[in-house]
Amino acid sequence: MISTAQELHPAPVLEPGRTILELRGLEKRYPGTHALKPVNLAFKSGEIHAIVGENGAGKSTLIKLLTGVMPRTSGEIIWEGQPAALATPHEAMALGINAVHQEVVLCRHLTVAANMFLGEENSRFGILQQRAMVRQAQTIIDDLGFDLPAHVTLGDLTIGQQQLIAAARATVRGTKFLIFDEPTAYLTRKEADQLFTLIRRLKGEGVTIIYISHRMEEVFELADRVSVLRDGTLVGTRNIAETNDAELVKMMINRSIEQVYHKEHFTPGAAILEARSLSGKGFENVSMTVRAGEIVGLYGLIGAGRSEFVTTVYGRHRKSAGQILWEGKEVQVNSEHDAIRLGMALAPESRRDQGLCLNLPVGFNLNLPIYKRISNNLLISNTQEKTQADRQIADLRIKTPTRGALVSSLSGGNQQKIVIGKWLAHGAKLFIFDEPTVGVDVGTKAEIYRLFGALLSKGAGIILISSYLPEVYELADTLHVFRRGKLVATHGFHAASHEDILTQALAEKQEKLGGQI
Amino acid sequence: MSTEAIAVEKPKRNYNVLFGLTLLALLVLLWIVLSVATPSFASGNNIANLLRQGSMIAIMAVGQTFVIITGGIDLSVGAVVGFATVVVAMMINAGFPIWLAILATLLVGVAIGMFHGFGIVKMGLPPFIITLATLTSLRGIGLLMTNGNSINIKSDTFTAFSRSSFVGIPNLFWMVILVGVPAYIFLHHSRWGRYLFSVGSNAEASRLSGVNVQRTIYMAYTLSGLCAAFVGVLLAARIGIGNPTQAEGWELQAIASSVIGGTSLFGAVGSVHGPLLGAFILATINNGANLLNVNSFWQRIITGALIIIIVYFDGLRRRGK
Repeated sequence: MISTAQELHPAPVLEPGRTILELRGLEKRYPGTHALKPVNLAFKSGEIHAIVGENGAGKSTLIKLLTGVMPRTSGEIIWEGQPAALATPHEAMALGINAVHQEVVLCRHLTVAANMFLGEENSRFGILQQRAMVRQAQTIIDDLGFDLPAHVTLGDLTIGQQQLIAAARATVRGTKFLIFDEPTAYLTRKEADQLFTLIRRLKGEGVTIIYISHRMEEVFELADRVSVLRDGTLVGTRNIAETNDAELVKMMINRSIEQVYHKEHFTPGAAILEARSLSGKGFENVSMTVRAGEIVGLYGLIGAGRSEFVTTVYGRHRKSAGQILWEGKEVQVNSEHDAIRLGMALAPESRRDQGLCLNLPVGFNLNLPIYKRISNNLLISNTQEKTQADRQIADLRIKTPTRGALVSSLSGGNQQKIVIGKWLAHGAKLFIFDEPTVGVDVGTKAEIYRLFGALLSKGAGIILISSYLPEVYELADTLHVFRRGKLVATHGFHAASHEDILTQALAEKQEKLGGQI
Repeated sequence: MSTEAIAVEKPKRNYNVLFGLTLLALLVLLWIVLSVATPSFASGNNIANLLRQGSMIAIMAVGQTFVIITGGIDLSVGAVVGFATVVVAMMINAGFPIWLAILATLLVGVAIGMFHGFGIVKMGLPPFIITLATLTSLRGIGLLMTNGNSINIKSDTFTAFSRSSFVGIPNLFWMVILVGVPAYIFLHHSRWGRYLFSVGSNAEASRLSGVNVQRTIYMAYTLSGLCAAFVGVLLAARIGIGNPTQAEGWELQAIASSVIGGTSLFGAVGSVHGPLLGAFILATINNGANLLNVNSFWQRIITGALIIIIVYFDGLRRRGK
């Protein structure tokens, strides 16, 4: 039973630098695949150890073995000098091994406090001490410097804030070994900074941190050491001071970094879409033009109005003022159906919630927007259904055994290719990509960027939304910066520095992030 | 991806067919066992009777399956059947031509289904709630219309239909084929069928891909209502009366048939042949139990146990993939 906040934060008992967990020949085989080839690696207490690698390189497998979610095929895990079975998640937690996952796995309908104490509720004679728990949770949250209330329902917070709560939760359970799996994928910069402060503080307390991320700058900002996985093999471990971006990327993909951002410049053609003083829910007075052959980048924090702007253009939400012009003529876009008929295609932000029918086959998902075209009034053409799907699978190099495999069985990068690929056969003129590379590895990123070039060369226009500045910076011909629902700045290709753009997106530092809490 | 992985994945594509064959094998096995165990089972009379019993649940189960594939549920179908017997009986007795009475009854089913669609799409009610509400109120409306009495149908042409056969097979079973074949084409070979699956899997992704989600939901409930009203017409012809309390609990039998036939209550998984086989498996169990003089209370227990066993093994196999 937990009674005071003090007990939740035990003084550092672990001497830093001592080996806390050691993997000896750890190996995992699935039927047909060798997910993790024998790995030898030692983690020290009080270190931040980054693990990088492409999707499918074996990172998730490693996490699942360490957290007892799956049994290993062979090898040993030595915990504080003793062999550990790690057969169940419960055993992992009892040892002090916890994980914070990319997607928040908490109860959205319960309060923040209830989530913090889930499974370890404070009760007296069987009665929950609710007020006490809220008070304790608030103490912990304040102590960590998160400006969040403990009594509200978790689901009322943004995804980023929920992620912070998940991290806070993991710290209060006698954790000695904490795994972060892509924790910043959905975080704003401010939230990410709060998380980093928390991580450094845990390190100071002697906790070992495993930090998994696709974002190199975070790895260099945080980590002491970094290990690289490729195709289930541990390629190497480096001290962070003795390595650089280029070396790590090369280790991950056997390819140099210049080949990732593949930017082709085309002469822009006629305007495809024009927004004139468009206003709607979450943004106001936004004007911009997208021409054939150009990428228009929208940069800003999550909640700055970028996604709201494009979903309104796409007919998901009603505009409250302004005009939308399509190829020079004013149009009313009242539904997604209208938008698609005009020739727009949207690859949405969250592939799980908005982009894919996960429990249906790959071919089904690829053909969903074009079933009207590949069927007569009554029946679907089986041959067309097959050839269309197989062509996209081949063109996009989607790694799937057959078009009949379920999307849920594919890796994140391949799922993202489907989200994008289903629009290629549709023949759209304007492609809207909302965070197309979240949780996608470098190799797949490069493939997606190359695809952009192919679309532009066919005369399409692209709107690219990203919270990841290097991506829009390197790819967009025109870059619009959003802040708090307004378009605050516009730059040409490489016309402003990273710092300037960041400042414009964040504005004055004292300013609270509007509408976030 | 290695070639081994490809070999592992292949059977998944034929999963639907395999599961259908397993159900068919189970049905045949039941028939063989019952033919040996009781001499009266294999008689022409009893088989015809069994086909009649199973047909009506089978047709309801098809409509129910469309709804379940979208991730919904239609609890009203039993009540719609009862209500439809009243409508068709009253119209025939009022002197309307039989074809008109049947057409009007089917339209009533369509209207009820549209109302469910309206409640779900426009009012935002959960399918369970809106169809539960119609279940109770339709029985009430039927009782008001009949004052709680049964209506004897004064048309021998109408009632004779359900008792006669065509090329040795009961007319009622022909009706299963009449519904089943178009339903199969609709679900597995038309884009509307694909949309039912996509909406059941992820409505938001479907909407963003240009699928008219609202229309798809309207369609599923309308077809379910239509199937139920059609069964109401068949039932009225079979028993020769209109009575709003008929078909009590049939909604659960339709759902059970659908689930035994491999439909997932979470949506996006289902077929047409599965529920049809499921309905006849249930009918065979009830019929066989009657012939073997098994206490009718036991029949309910057996049905319940069967649902658990089949769905459990189905889940095991899906997870095993």
